[in-house]
Amino acid sequence: MTNVRVTIDGQEVLVPAGSTVLEAARLAGIKISTLCDHPAIEPIGACRVCLVEIEKQRVLQPACTFPVSEGMVVHTNSERVQESRRFVLQLLFSERNHFCMFCQMSGSCELQSLAYENGLDHWEFDRAFTKFSVDASRKYFAMDHNRCILCRRCIRACDELVGNGTLGLKNRGANTIIIADLDVPFGESSCVSCGTCLQICPTGALMDRASAYMGAKNEITRVKSRCMACSVGCGVELVVRDNRVIRVEGDWEAAPNKGLLCEIGRFHPLHEERHRLRKPLVRREGILVEATWEEALRAAAQGLKAAGQEVCTVASGFVTNEEAAALQALPGAKALMGSAPVAGDGSCLGVLDEADVYIMVNTDLAKDHQVAGFAIKRSVRHRGARLVVLSDQPTKMDDWAIARWTLAEADRAVRLAAEAQMPAIIYTPEGAALAETLAAQLPRAKRVALAPLGNALGLAQAGISQGFDGQKAAAYVVVAGEAPAMPAPLASALDKADFVVAQASYREPWDQVADVLLPMPTTFEKSGTMVNTEGHAYALSAAVKVTLPSVQEMAAQLGSLL
Amino acid sequence: MFEPVLLKRASLPRSETIEVYMANGGYQALPKALEMKPAELIDLVKRSKLRGRGGAGFPTGLKWGFMTPENVTKYLCVNTDEGEPGTFKDRELVEKDPHQIIEGAIIAAYAVGAQRAFVYIRGEFFLGVKRWIKAIADAYARGFLGKNILGTSYSLDMSVHRGAGAYICGEETAMIESLEGKRGEPRLKPPYPAQIGYLRQPTLVHNVETLANVPHIVNRGAEWYASIGTEQSTGPKVFCVSGHVFRRGVYELPMGTPLHEIIYTHAGGVPGGKKVKAVIPGGASTPLLTGDELDVTMDFESLAAVGSALGTGAIIVMDEDTCIVDVARRTARFFAHESCGRCTPCRVGTQQAVRLLERIEAGEGDSRLIDQLVDLVDGMAGKTFCPMGDALVAALRGTFKFMEEFHAHVALKRCPLGLPYQEGAPIREKAPGASTHAAA
Ligand SMILES: Cc1cc2nc3c(=O)[nH]c(=O)nc-3n(C[C@H](O)[C@H](O)[C@H](O)COP(=O)(O)O)c2cc1C
Ligand code: SF4
Ligand code: SF4
Ligand code: SF4
Ligand code: FES
Repeated sequence: MTNVRVTIDGQEVLVPAGSTVLEAARLAGIKISTLCDHPAIEPIGACRVCLVEIEKQRVLQPACTFPVSEGMVVHTNSERVQESRRFVLQLLFSERNHFCMFCQMSGSCELQSLAYENGLDHWEFDRAFTKFSVDASRKYFAMDHNRCILCRRCIRACDELVGNGTLGLKNRGANTIIIADLDVPFGESSCVSCGTCLQICPTGALMDRASAYMGAKNEITRVKSRCMACSVGCGVELVVRDNRVIRVEGDWEAAPNKGLLCEIGRFHPLHEERHRLRKPLVRREGILVEATWEEALRAAAQGLKAAGQEVCTVASGFVTNEEAAALQALPGAKALMGSAPVAGDGSCLGVLDEADVYIMVNTDLAKDHQVAGFAIKRSVRHRGARLVVLSDQPTKMDDWAIARWTLAEADRAVRLAAEAQMPAIIYTPEGAALAETLAAQLPRAKRVALAPLGNALGLAQAGISQGFDGQKAAAYVVVAGEAPAMPAPLASALDKADFVVAQASYREPWDQVADVLLPMPTTFEKSGTMVNTEGHAYALSAAVKVTLPSVQEMAAQLGSLL
Repeated sequence: MFEPVLLKRASLPRSETIEVYMANGGYQALPKALEMKPAELIDLVKRSKLRGRGGAGFPTGLKWGFMTPENVTKYLCVNTDEGEPGTFKDRELVEKDPHQIIEGAIIAAYAVGAQRAFVYIRGEFFLGVKRWIKAIADAYARGFLGKNILGTSYSLDMSVHRGAGAYICGEETAMIESLEGKRGEPRLKPPYPAQIGYLRQPTLVHNVETLANVPHIVNRGAEWYASIGTEQSTGPKVFCVSGHVFRRGVYELPMGTPLHEIIYTHAGGVPGGKKVKAVIPGGASTPLLTGDELDVTMDFESLAAVGSALGTGAIIVMDEDTCIVDVARRTARFFAHESCGRCTPCRVGTQQAVRLLERIEAGEGDSRLIDQLVDLVDGMAGKTFCPMGDALVAALRGTFKFMEEFHAHVALKRCPLGLPYQEGAPIREKAPGASTHAAA
């Protein structure tokens, strides 16, 4: 690509032809104020906050959309530019309810900080605004139109990134408001509660229920970590205040999710309704009662000893590589809380933004691995890619598919994909056999195998590679973490077992089966590494300090007692 | 006496029919044009110096020349959205002589290699829609549209698309968005529609009146056409005259006709022998002229020279009893109502202009309100996403020629002409469309 030479605020920079003035300024390390622009989405030049002076241009031009050309001279902070920015901000502040002291975003709001930066010290214009009602029909966050500046970042994020296309506009001019679908309450719309719009909103218009009014930018810290709820392994930023995670955001800089998260990763941890386990519990006369760590470990050792070598340790996807390694200190077999991962052809998830035909085999990416599903949705919406669902049951991806065929009709998918430049076959262990057959007939196909549990590949590397399908043992050690449910084979095995030790972050559902129930740190509370479905090792950082014993301590101490 | 070109047939009975059109010289340019090479047609139109009649006056031949890529699907859009206040010329042309436009459209489409033409028509033009649909059907029936037009290898399809009543959809890129089934809002330019338009293909957008000129240029030649009007504004122009004149209506006159001639000779002057206080020369988006500026001639260059614009050629005459502050407020209300809501300076600036003008006109506050209004208008200038915001800037700056009248309102706390202040319906409807959803 050719470069062009531009001068920004007296500084000469060489930037790729086709860059916008804003991108060029970024390369030069010069900050231009923006509002409707966001690096993750296409610029639309709507807010006019970023207007800059470009020599030989009659009027100021928006930096976020204006392309650079050879020899261009830009002034980003001249008197004229500053005045223009103040004017646009004054208009925005006059338009709707921007009385910051009542807004949960105060202190973190982009509009507000621009006002401070640009010295707005009074209201220039009349504030004769209409009141709009707040739409609080959604479980996790509310929409307050009165604080909306109509920057449309939410619309573009939902459309371009999530591929869901839920959001739009109605009315015109002053009456314009953000709507969902054909103007239904947000909570009844096609929204999948991924929260991307919430995260990208610069003001207090979209408001997170869990963290509302809980802390401004200067009162919180951000810790980069990973979500372990599925094997996509999304990068997260844990927003922490007073040793508590108040919100989970997608890390814009992290692969493979680039800022996106799904409902499970973003909201479930903060809307957890199960009881947190903080003290060991031991079953006495049928009832779980509190015990000290030592008492509980002794009780565990006793039960396990009675079982002799007939012990099986089952680890969930919430177990880190380091925790998994430590489990080797325990006797008996080791298994995964689910099926064993299958190997694809090593394709990374980036393939999902390149393929032209997708065959989703016997799985539903709108339920699990949702962020991978978003890549397919946005490809269908914007790149003209086609999706075929092979499944005997309806899936939530069907609306994006050109067809859903049963597993028995798989050859139809082969015919359709035969002409594709890059077909992608996406599957979990349940669809592996069929996926292999399809791939054998489609030489250009990429096979994207999704591991069934968050850290399934990390566990496999640590030697825990068997899936649990009812392995018989007299006693079990279950290392559950936040695992929300017991897979059926495990439930029936535990039911029949003589003795069960579980280490988990929450009581439920383990209190149904455990004889000894030990507390365990959550993903927010531990550091370590995980391996995502692509085989990339990712680091987790503890955002919250706890005094709970780690899995490593449990394994070492229990092992020494045995 | 100038002999009308575009409205020649308009006074005939059943002028809208294909029979009357053909009996009076219609569809004679089309066979000639189809025998010419597209490049020759483009050259012809360039030499005629025809300029767009949609408002901006862009040279038509030059625009055709931009539709260069070969072997790609191209489109033509016939802009019949006519929403500019004071403008009613396209409506007349469509209702009275739709085949003239169709013939021009086919020639234009052939010249640029478009295979599909859309007529985007303002939804409220009920008769116009009927006339368009009938005319297109008749043109198909006679082989002027459809496959292999007049036995040549050229084919063109044409259909009508009704707008839903938004002024902004007359702006060419908003019109294309609307045609694509999206919210009618302008696109970022460049790229221009001639590069990336409907369905991302090259698209030629023309005003109805522009296209109506084309058959005549083909029939009678570029030199004949260029001999009408002035050096830089050639050909006939359909002017719409409204306001305080005896004979309001549509007048076809050569470009460069003096404004006072249009008002006093053609439209019969001002009733009651009153003086002309101000004239909007080219639709609500153009700055008004004072009664002292009537000797200007009606062409692109002369109006630009006096700081206004020819716009659509919609002349609104205001007599000495007109309150200019009221004119300003009504104009601002129009733009606030029609702002699409995309960019801040237009969406909010127009609302604030209305608010300030309401207060000035009602005699609230003091001269600081006027300073604020002037600052607001200066602030908006050149900052909006599309030309719509600047249209209000231009219009209000025109009214500032009567600055003393603004000051008189705040000084007297009423209209100096004694006119009552009638507040319009609020621009913002009550809690517009906001749905009430209780917390879950
Ligand atoms: C806000 C706005 C409204 C417009 N409305 C119309 C209209 O109603 N009819 C029209 O022909 N052109 C309208 N235009 C101009 C069109 O964008 C376009 O320039 C014109 O249709 C080109 O045709 P021409 O080259 O034949 O003039 C409008 C422009 C703007 C900015
Ligand atoms: S949205 Fe921002 S500017 Fe508006 S009230 Fe909230 S904090 Fe203040
Ligand atoms: S939560 Fe996700 S799916 Fe729902 S509207 Fe926001 S971006 Fe779209
Ligand atoms: S809700 Fe937020 S992101 Fe969406 S338009 Fe309003 S201010 Fe922008
Ligand atoms: S950031 Fe460029 S117009 Fe909004």
